[in-house]
Amino acid sequence: MKQELNRDEWMDRVLNSLDGVERAQAQPWFYTRLMARLKKEETTTWERISGLISRPSVAITSLCLVLLMNVFFLLQSDSDNSINSVAQTDQVVESESLIASSSSFDYENITP
Amino acid sequence: MDERTLVDLLKQGDESAFREMVETWQDMVYNTALGIVQVPSDAEDIAQEVFVQVYQSVSSFKGDSKFSTWLYRITVTKSLDLERRKKRKKRFAFVKSLFGDDNQAAIHPPDFQHPGVQLDKKEDAAMLFKAIKELPENQRIAFTLHKVEGLSYQEVSDVMNATVSSVESLMHRAKVNLRKSLEQHYRQTR
Repeated sequence: MKQELNRDEWMDRVLNSLDGVERAQAQPWFYTRLMARLKKEETTTWERISGLISRPSVAITSLCLVLLMNVFFLLQSDSDNSINSVAQTDQVVESESLIASSSSFDYENITP
Repeated sequence: MDERTLVDLLKQGDESAFREMVETWQDMVYNTALGIVQVPSDAEDIAQEVFVQVYQSVSSFKGDSKFSTWLYRITVTKSLDLERRKKRKKRFAFVKSLFGDDNQAAIHPPDFQHPGVQLDKKEDAAMLFKAIKELPENQRIAFTLHKVEGLSYQEVSDVMNATVSSVESLMHRAKVNLRKSLEQHYRQTR
């Protein structure tokens, strides 16, 4: 019985040992260390980005992507050119026939 | 400077406002982290991480809660993240120790002495912190915020995004579990 009382008293004492605890303070010059870390973080962010870009897999993939885009645009511009040239040929034929018709008209008009 | 003005200045990237914010809340952040991780160097590291995150993401602070509540939330999250990382390392260190690479400090860290505890209570507090470490995460956070940081149940519920009654329940279960743990220790030592 006495031992139980001792045990309960001890547990209460331990559970209440944080009563009146004071706030722990950060080490002096915390702000200075924080600013140094912030600068480092900014540098490491750029390092991380450049590191990512310079990775062989990323570099090769981006290069392939750029080449593919070039090929795509080249092919597209070629097909556009061929459509344009067909349209141009049609126009030329049309204008030639117009000249021809006008000349025949003129010819017809000259003759009495 | 009131909180809203300070936050506005922080969003504009004002360095003197950032300094004032750090100096106002550095001890609060450090003490909270220390209560959770129980290692001074880790608590310092977490405190720095917290303010780095504040610097980088203050624009996302909408002002729905108090600024200090937001700081508490970041601190708790960062502290738990570090705990999880350390637990993984500890498991790895244990496996390594099986193969002869012994690192006792990583497996059995020394007892934690909180610097703010009164001298005559140091031993009991060290015992309590050891028992707190064994509590489930939510109970541990609620108990630490209430007992070490001195937050009210309402403030703890704001930080934990929970109701006051659920914080009361967490505190009750934490005390029951702590008693069990202490009783076990009592039986082993006496």
